[in-house]
Amino acid sequence: MMHRPSLALRVAVLCYVGALVALPLGFVFQQALSHGLSAFVTALSNAEMDSALWLTVRVAVVAVPLNVIFGLGVSLWILRRPSRVSRVFDTLIDLPLAVSPIIVGLSLELAYAQNGWLGRPLAAWGLHVMFTYWAIVVASVFVSLPLVSRQVIPLLRSVGTHQEQTAQTLGAGPVRIFLTVTLRSITWAAAYGVTLTIARIIGEYGAVLIVSGNIGLRTETLTLNISNNFGNFTPYQGFVGVSLLSLVSILVLLVLGLARHRERLRHGYRP
Amino acid sequence: MRRYTSALTGHGARGLALTYLSLVVLIPIAAVVSHALGNGLGSFWSALTQPEALSAIRLTLWCAAGGSLLNMVAGTATAWVLVRDRFPGQSILNALIDLPFALPTVVAGVTFYTLYGPHSPFHVNVTGTWIGITIAITFVTLPFSVRAVQPLLETRTFTAEAAAATLGASSVRVFRTITLPALMPAILTGIGLAFARALGEYGSVVFISNNLPYRSEIASSYVYSLATSGQVDAASAVSLGLLVMALVVLMGINITAQRIGRGE
Amino acid sequence: MGIVLKNITKHFGSDLVLDEVSDEIPSGSMTALLGPSGSGKSTLLRIIAGLESLDHGTVELHGRDVTTAEARHRQIGFCFQDYAPFNQMTVFDNVAYGLKVRRIVAARRKKEVDELLGLVRLSDFGDRYPRQLSGGQRQRMALARALAIKPEVLLLDEPFAALDAQVSGELRVWVRSLQRELGITTILVTHNQSEAMEVADRIVILHEGRIEQVGPPDQVYDKPASDFVHGFLGPLTTWQETAYRPHDLQLCDVDAGPRARVTDVIRLGFEVRVVVESESETTWVQLTHHEARQLDPVIGSWISVRPR
Repeated sequence: MMHRPSLALRVAVLCYVGALVALPLGFVFQQALSHGLSAFVTALSNAEMDSALWLTVRVAVVAVPLNVIFGLGVSLWILRRPSRVSRVFDTLIDLPLAVSPIIVGLSLELAYAQNGWLGRPLAAWGLHVMFTYWAIVVASVFVSLPLVSRQVIPLLRSVGTHQEQTAQTLGAGPVRIFLTVTLRSITWAAAYGVTLTIARIIGEYGAVLIVSGNIGLRTETLTLNISNNFGNFTPYQGFVGVSLLSLVSILVLLVLGLARHRERLRHGYRP
Repeated sequence: MRRYTSALTGHGARGLALTYLSLVVLIPIAAVVSHALGNGLGSFWSALTQPEALSAIRLTLWCAAGGSLLNMVAGTATAWVLVRDRFPGQSILNALIDLPFALPTVVAGVTFYTLYGPHSPFHVNVTGTWIGITIAITFVTLPFSVRAVQPLLETRTFTAEAAAATLGASSVRVFRTITLPALMPAILTGIGLAFARALGEYGSVVFISNNLPYRSEIASSYVYSLATSGQVDAASAVSLGLLVMALVVLMGINITAQRIGRGE
Repeated sequence: MGIVLKNITKHFGSDLVLDEVSDEIPSGSMTALLGPSGSGKSTLLRIIAGLESLDHGTVELHGRDVTTAEARHRQIGFCFQDYAPFNQMTVFDNVAYGLKVRRIVAARRKKEVDELLGLVRLSDFGDRYPRQLSGGQRQRMALARALAIKPEVLLLDEPFAALDAQVSGELRVWVRSLQRELGITTILVTHNQSEAMEVADRIVILHEGRIEQVGPPDQVYDKPASDFVHGFLGPLTTWQETAYRPHDLQLCDVDAGPRARVTDVIRLGFEVRVVVESESETTWVQLTHHEARQLDPVIGSWISVRPR
């Protein structure tokens, strides 16, 4: 058994992570509360911010379930019914990870603009996507596409098919097997993926900047609201938004940590 | 087994998935490629080699490389301490690593601008410099390097290391000759993911970089300025260039990691 | 009636895994599918279960043609080598799973599961989770789970292979007596010939997708139908260019027959192996403890070898 890492290494790592990560986080809250609690609360009821908050929620409520269903379905397909097509799919789904948010926005704008490949037929039916709520939804789906399947696929692969086959021999049909065996064996990995998806969608900036039009009270998400505030020299309002999102991020971290902990317990690894 | 999966992933479902993927990702990316190459390779190349483009790409490549390499070392060390050490508050450290994943980029961006910019409480102003950009990139890519290595360390049994110790090797030597090579595929994967992410990073970098063309303008910022000024073809060209770079890096890292992994 | 297999053929891609396999397995018997890795035995078992498709051929279970039936309709019990526990459910819920599928009411479910847990000696483990059980306990749970649906046929895919020797040995004996008591037609897949001989009424030996021989244990051991079966079922050695079982040779005084020199004596408790060398070959002879004591072979001495 090897020795523990030296104290020096431990301190070095703590300083590094502390300075890089903890410090900015603490600073955010300090700034948001710098004018006192009542000012903070007042700022929270700012019209633009509330509208932005509501828009962000409305986007997440649609985009997250879409990607979760897609992610779960694709994971099952790739692992349980592999084929050349599914292998190609597997690679393609990871594409969004390599694409800059600005390029995401550009690509959606090109495709869905009035004269775009998709925009033109949609416009013929009277449907406009660009600079609306739906553009933000599509952009959110794009950037978070692989997040669920990347967590679920490795786990499903290692869990194997024997449990599902046993359930078959015991008389269970496909839906029952999925709900009682498959889903339960990947619960925490799926939770991890879903949480990452929510965090990504709520926090998307670059892509939304391009496709939403940034119209105040209409298509201004919370992230846009924050940057607008800084651009308009109302940084305090911006910091209130920042602290709101940071709180959400901390919540996300807690859930991620819990999910990771439960997954490791499952495998018998003592934390 | 076939019938079970058929029920859930029949032809209808597969078609649906393909349509979904096309509408959201494939067709838009195809549109970018089409606009980039639509006027011929010559025009594509000239858009990529504009002085401002080259300057932005060069700056982005340097900072991405710098941040990724720094995190290669720091990330591995962090994973090592997280897995092999025991101290109070360790789980908080573990949770903090995910913060750059969970935090919106714009939040990181404005925070770094406020911390290390003109109104910095430390009187440190790195706006418009490669230092500021690299700090932001290092923040954003930390989780990639740590989480790539951590699971491997957690499941490693260290029997090879024990054998080396019985043969007389010092701790440092054991780490350098036994552990590190075994971790290399994972470390490389971490760097690859970090680098690909850093190439396209926008929200966390754009504020502290100040976007001065030829000085501190990063590639994604340059694309944005092209796109919003109506030069979509040029924007697409540079985008395609960046995409290809990211994919080449990811594939290269993948292949190298596999080659090294096979030797284990 | 039992299980009737006719001309079962299966390819994986271009590999022929099962080649026109036909057999009739008597009802209530314990049959071992024995063969080396890659012989197709597991594939055959999975085809009988309905977990694998076949290219052509038919499977009949107790008179019913189930060739096109799904696994869930075949009324079979299946146990995997890795036990395939439902990790997220308690032992009780694992065993109750098949009953829940059949919509058996909770009270009756509890009664049946409790009985089954008693049968497999896991009565106190109902509330535990599979990860808290040992390998042998998990396999007993898997058996109880399979038996809960009152299957017509029980299929066991290398059920003891992942257990250590002692647990495996005990479990084998126990499964054997359980099968006799319940009288369920059972097929056991194994690559371990002593396991097959210990447990089965009849052994089906598979080699490269074809049946080499079928028969009770002593028949396949003493009257092998081919060289492969001869070598696979038990140890072989050669003496004067003829293949023998080491226990079918004996050692005598040096003048009593063809000579060889003792080069090694290995004592394994009851069994003693004596390795001898002649000019042309190396042979080993299996003696009992008593025989070895009487003969007292010394390394380097000359001795003669004769068939018994």
